[in-house]
Amino acid sequence: MDLNDSVSLQEVTRVLQEEVKLAARPHNYLLIDLATHTIHIKGRGLDLYRIPIVAWSFRMPTAVHGTYRLIARPPIARRTVDPTVSVEQAPLSLADMPTTYTLSFIPALTIEVRPSDEEDLFRRMWAGAKTWWRSLNEWASSLSRGESSSSDPSPYLLLELSREQAQSLAWSAVDGMPLVIRLATDKK
Amino acid sequence: MRQWLVACSLLLLIGVPTASLSQRSESATPASPPAVSASLVTFGHREDPPPALSSLQARYKALSKQLSRLKPQEPYILVDTARNHLYLKRRDDILVDALASTGSGTILPKPGETSDQWVFDTPRGAFFVQSKLLNPAWVKPDWAFIEEGLEVPRNQADRIEQGVLGAYALGFGKGYFIHGTLYTRLLGKNVTHGCIRLNDDDLKSIYRVARIGTPIIIF
Repeated sequence: MDLNDSVSLQEVTRVLQEEVKLAARPHNYLLIDLATHTIHIKGRGLDLYRIPIVAWSFRMPTAVHGTYRLIARPPIARRTVDPTVSVEQAPLSLADMPTTYTLSFIPALTIEVRPSDEEDLFRRMWAGAKTWWRSLNEWASSLSRGESSSSDPSPYLLLELSREQAQSLAWSAVDGMPLVIRLATDKK
Repeated sequence: MRQWLVACSLLLLIGVPTASLSQRSESATPASPPAVSASLVTFGHREDPPPALSSLQARYKALSKQLSRLKPQEPYILVDTARNHLYLKRRDDILVDALASTGSGTILPKPGETSDQWVFDTPRGAFFVQSKLLNPAWVKPDWAFIEEGLEVPRNQADRIEQGVLGAYALGFGKGYFIHGTLYTRLLGKNVTHGCIRLNDDDLKSIYRVARIGTPIIIF
């Protein structure tokens, strides 16, 4: 990072300020760094695991909040142990995690994760359609509430990750997990 | 209405951009400057004069130092439950890299209760070593009997099983331990009830270095 770039320094300082608060607590947290295309799974300020972001797009109509909290993540199909059956239940593994899913946070933020190698044209179009449908719904509901058409929809971040890394993120994201986003401010 | 829908469909197909920022990491040219300024406008500091560079630099250094002080200064244990590895680390150096077994993620309904259940996950977050045990005995909890279709014993002595946890155990709260195993063929898999299993040699190495208070970070 260029210490003489005030714009980038301001953003990094904002993120650091949040991190200092989060690192003092016993919970792990996520740092999505759009400047370096990396998701950091962190705890006690340590980098526990890094996930490279292949591509991202961020619709950010309102100011970015300091810390978001995960309130909804993809459902996991856990196996139930049946004492009456002698066959051992297969445990959960990374391979059971989804590659396409949505994470919801408070304050309002939606993160959609998709595999970057999705080559199926229909699936890509379907994913695109879902994004537009979401925007359309938000617009329609703001109209029905009598708000002006310029009122802000909730922020939406689309992340394209490799399949394995999408599964890693799904595995590590636990309810209530804090999230900080570092915006890309570099002027390259 | 129909025309409007057609227009929407067309937009969807040609992918008209919204007021958003996007980047692809392989791209040779990153986002253009207008996108950058969009992020700053929405950042919410437009009306405030930007802080002087020198004060920003000072703040950045102070915060970096503060964050660095929150990181464990002594060796710590890091557990990756997704890949079933346990690391003993000092700062960024890996002192021990051990294959482990962590929680299976399976559930076991509590008998007689409609909604309550045991979830066999290894807890995530930051913990610390609370106890160090030599030749630990396993005091089998209720689920260990129920899972096998056995009756839960009334006598406490009937819960004790020797020789299944290895030579050492490190407790990190709420009944969770790092301990040994008889089932070394299952190392590298998510098969436990939440504890972290290691082979004898790795367990010994970890036990020697760990002290009461050694941080354990699990993700």
